[in-house]
Amino acid sequence: MPRLKLFYRLIVRPLFREPIRLALMVLAVALGVAVVLAIDLAGNAAAGSFHSSMESLAGGNDLEVVAPGGAPESVVATLAEQPHPLRITPRMEDFAVDTRTQETLSLIGLDLIAEGSRYVSESGVAAEDSRNRQTIEESIQELEDPKSIWVSPSLGVKPGDHLKLLINDAVQDCIVRGVLPQSSANESVILMDIAAAQRALNRHGRVDRILIKLPENANIEEWRKKLSELLPAGVEVRPQGAGTQENRKMLAAFRWNLRLLSYIALVVGAFLIYNTISVSVVRRRPEIGIVRAIGAGRNEVLAAFLGEAVCLGLAGALIGVPLGRIMASGAVKLMAATVDSLYVSSRPGAIGLSWSSVALALAVGVGVAVASALSPAREAMQVSLTDAMAQGRREYIAQTHKGRDLIVAAILGALGAFAARMPAFAGKPMFGYLATILLIAAAAYAMPALVNFVSQLAAQALGKLLGVEALLASRSLAASLRRTSVLVAALATAVAMMVSVGIMVGSFRQTVVAWMNDQLPADLYLRPAGDPAADRHPTISVELPGKIAALPGVAAVNRLRAYEISYNGMPATLASVDLRVLRAYRNSNFFSGRPAAQVLGQLRGQNNVIVSEPFSYKHHVKAGDTIALSLGEYRASFRIVDVYCDYASERGYILMDRDVLLKYLPDPAPTNLAVFVAPSTDVDQVRKEIQEVAAGHRILIFSDRDLRKEAVRIFDRTFAITYALEAVAVVVAVMGIAGALIALVIDRRRELGLLRFLGAATGQIRKMILVEAGLLGLLANLAGFALGYFLSLILVFVINKQSFGWTIRFHWPFAVLLGALTVVYLATVISGLYPARVAARLNPLEVIHEQ
Amino acid sequence: MENDDLPEERAAVRRMAILSLQAVTKEYASEGQCVRALDGVSLEVSAGEFVALVGRSGCGKSTLLHVAGAMDFPSTGLVLIGDKNTSALNDAQQTELRREKVGFVFQSFQLLHTLTVQENVELPLLLAGNPAAREAALERLHWVDLDGLGARYPHQLSGGQMQRVAIARALAHSPRILLADEPTGNLDSTTGAAILDLLVRLTRERKTATIMATHSPEAAAVCDTLVRMRDGRIEEITRR
Repeated sequence: MPRLKLFYRLIVRPLFREPIRLALMVLAVALGVAVVLAIDLAGNAAAGSFHSSMESLAGGNDLEVVAPGGAPESVVATLAEQPHPLRITPRMEDFAVDTRTQETLSLIGLDLIAEGSRYVSESGVAAEDSRNRQTIEESIQELEDPKSIWVSPSLGVKPGDHLKLLINDAVQDCIVRGVLPQSSANESVILMDIAAAQRALNRHGRVDRILIKLPENANIEEWRKKLSELLPAGVEVRPQGAGTQENRKMLAAFRWNLRLLSYIALVVGAFLIYNTISVSVVRRRPEIGIVRAIGAGRNEVLAAFLGEAVCLGLAGALIGVPLGRIMASGAVKLMAATVDSLYVSSRPGAIGLSWSSVALALAVGVGVAVASALSPAREAMQVSLTDAMAQGRREYIAQTHKGRDLIVAAILGALGAFAARMPAFAGKPMFGYLATILLIAAAAYAMPALVNFVSQLAAQALGKLLGVEALLASRSLAASLRRTSVLVAALATAVAMMVSVGIMVGSFRQTVVAWMNDQLPADLYLRPAGDPAADRHPTISVELPGKIAALPGVAAVNRLRAYEISYNGMPATLASVDLRVLRAYRNSNFFSGRPAAQVLGQLRGQNNVIVSEPFSYKHHVKAGDTIALSLGEYRASFRIVDVYCDYASERGYILMDRDVLLKYLPDPAPTNLAVFVAPSTDVDQVRKEIQEVAAGHRILIFSDRDLRKEAVRIFDRTFAITYALEAVAVVVAVMGIAGALIALVIDRRRELGLLRFLGAATGQIRKMILVEAGLLGLLANLAGFALGYFLSLILVFVINKQSFGWTIRFHWPFAVLLGALTVVYLATVISGLYPARVAARLNPLEVIHEQ
Repeated sequence: MENDDLPEERAAVRRMAILSLQAVTKEYASEGQCVRALDGVSLEVSAGEFVALVGRSGCGKSTLLHVAGAMDFPSTGLVLIGDKNTSALNDAQQTELRREKVGFVFQSFQLLHTLTVQENVELPLLLAGNPAAREAALERLHWVDLDGLGARYPHQLSGGQMQRVAIARALAHSPRILLADEPTGNLDSTTGAAILDLLVRLTRERKTATIMATHSPEAAAVCDTLVRMRDGRIEEITRR
């Protein structure tokens, strides 16, 4: 207790003497913790606990049978004929859009006559009531009625209601027969009889998945092998939920990168805590001397300063937890939209703030605070009694270590450059991350030399330009070198991440725009209505392309068909195009450098494919390699003839000739159409004609310009969360600067008071502090820009490539960078307003008298 | 030596009072209590006059210096610097007045360690926007016998040299009034004596009105006027 009392008197109480500075520091830590927690919670809800929406009503099974394009119904018969007590559940799985809300819902088709008792009888009071009113015959009629559906309670409809659903390109009027029990997964599901689903989806004779329940205590792997032998080559038997696992694996890189990005604010916060504790140690050197002289040991001094850091970290974390929970609500929407458009259809789960999340946030806040405070606290511990009273020695040390720090910076920089050249480790760009950390550390070590050099250089020039206040400001910054360096390092880190991510996103955006110019040669593009998603491929009625092709203004129609497949345990997209049309119009080149006509000519009618760059990178395949693909019940080998640029999805594409794919999967319905308008024909006129032809079909028509605009919109939405994270890091840094300037004003009050004695006007004092804030901003912008450039090279060419497999062309987004840097600079100057006010209001008599 | 001037000459100079305190009181609140730091103080100081304020700690010496230097307002009474009533001036006008007429010297030198010696001396001139600061600073350093040390930093000087720099800085803008608060308090007796000689010499040469708060009997001995203070009041004025 006596020690706690001492700790309170010597450490905690002085903190409250500067309440605004204390509040800024705590808030800076709180924001850092909040961002980490928010991304963790949102990532977990949107991607981490990814639960495929297709797993609805599929619990309790052991194995699943799947085949790209669907398994033939004969497979169900084969399995059912086995003399084993297996429970076989064939399913149709797709999506439907609720036309009232435009919400995309999972559409599940089950054999309700055979299985209905398991679902419908459990379907809650509403269904129970409706069934009680009916005869068995009426119930069977309802089950067989292709319009009958059963829905999740979240849809807010009751038995007897009509619901218009968009399935593929047609709207179907369905009748709600019952409401399913509330599920814990927050899902919205439409259930219909399997035959009705096949009819609605136009996939006769095929089922999307067959779930198998094995006998009790069966060995799943043995059964998997046994059943695989019974089934056609292309049909895969795997543990139930393997698809979900694949998707989780695919989402891991996305989550991983976002999580790392969320730590930037915390890194910035760490610099600020380091600075706060350093300032605390410098200020209290005489006190350290006194308490050491009257009996305190070195360890007690160490514990006192670490205790101060714990207080800051704990207070920040306690505020950060509720703040993070609030921020997670916003983040989860952005993340879910990205997951949907780039990866896989999913519905974010509820945000769960568990005790473990709270504990993690507290550990992160306190851990980072203690780690940051360790070095200054150790210095405090080593202060000798005779040194304790010596003023200015700390700054002297920073001055004399500049050379050594520069050497350390050079070594760290070289190690960073080396790490950046290393390949991915365990599929993750671990060395890329290491290179980033090393470069940030190198910059931090180089900062004292940089600050000293620039402020000395600037002193005279600024003195002439802005007067004696600027001269004093620059000298003051150079004199408080260590403190200034840490502050500049903190803000520079935030600026660097902003610049590097800005360059990376700008480069990526420019690359995508250039790619779209090559990839979108057609005049009009058609797809079924509803939200697009990377793994949803609703089809267009088979007869529609022919009708459109017959229009007088249409030169050609290209039919694209896409299927979701699993390749080497990872989701991918298999697509086919009409190569005759593609050969005539496609003008992009391939990685081999060969002309498109030559490459695509090799696909025509043959088991040859081209693959997208992410597919090639993920699966380590290249031109000339052979890949084996399951297509329906078949398994066939295809030779990769080339690799092409693709930025549409990170999943990876395999592209083949339409005629070849139809041999294996004979469903002719396309998922997208590209319409080439005849020369000298009005595109708008053709569009109108297509709309007339497509009347009755829910088709969206885009011009190439619309499509580009939509792609850019999705792109910008994808990176919105990135910008938000950067903004928080910059806010944290600017708050740190404000807090540190207040500390600087308080520590230099004697000097400021003296200046008043020497004839300085209050306006001059104010100007001096604002120039200091401006200089800090300038230095941080300069250092941050330089560091950001190098980090952007790592982001573009190492981390992005090793995470997602995309080649991005480097591009300087000048306008964005200039705007962002100006905003940061202005924010830094504005952060100096309050400290400047404090400085101007100091009573010179009091502060001089204190001495 | 100027301090060997004839008494008649000093008497003539004394008649030209450039600082006048008339029934000045200064009160302030401390922990809810009203404290009277100055109580009816009247004093006139003329150009070339060297005044020593003596008395126990807390008797009001520093407060008198502050109101005399337009760093603080009197609660009642008048402080006239030249013909300017400091109470009638706003903050900017007070600053202007200090820039033109007042120089301060402190016990603990109060030099800016981030600036060189020359830059410290230039500082008041630069704050006042004087473009000829460099030349003036070099001249002031010559006055205090510190030629050639302008490029050094304060921590490279001895205590006596630092106080000389502080004096040179206080004289940078040729003030009419020089206020020194215990200027020898942090110095050994030999160095302190040298600083006193310097202050006396400069007071005579530059015709400044110098007021020095001190505890030192040696310092009190070299002044023209000795002012004894007690509990915020002037107990005795001895003119020599």
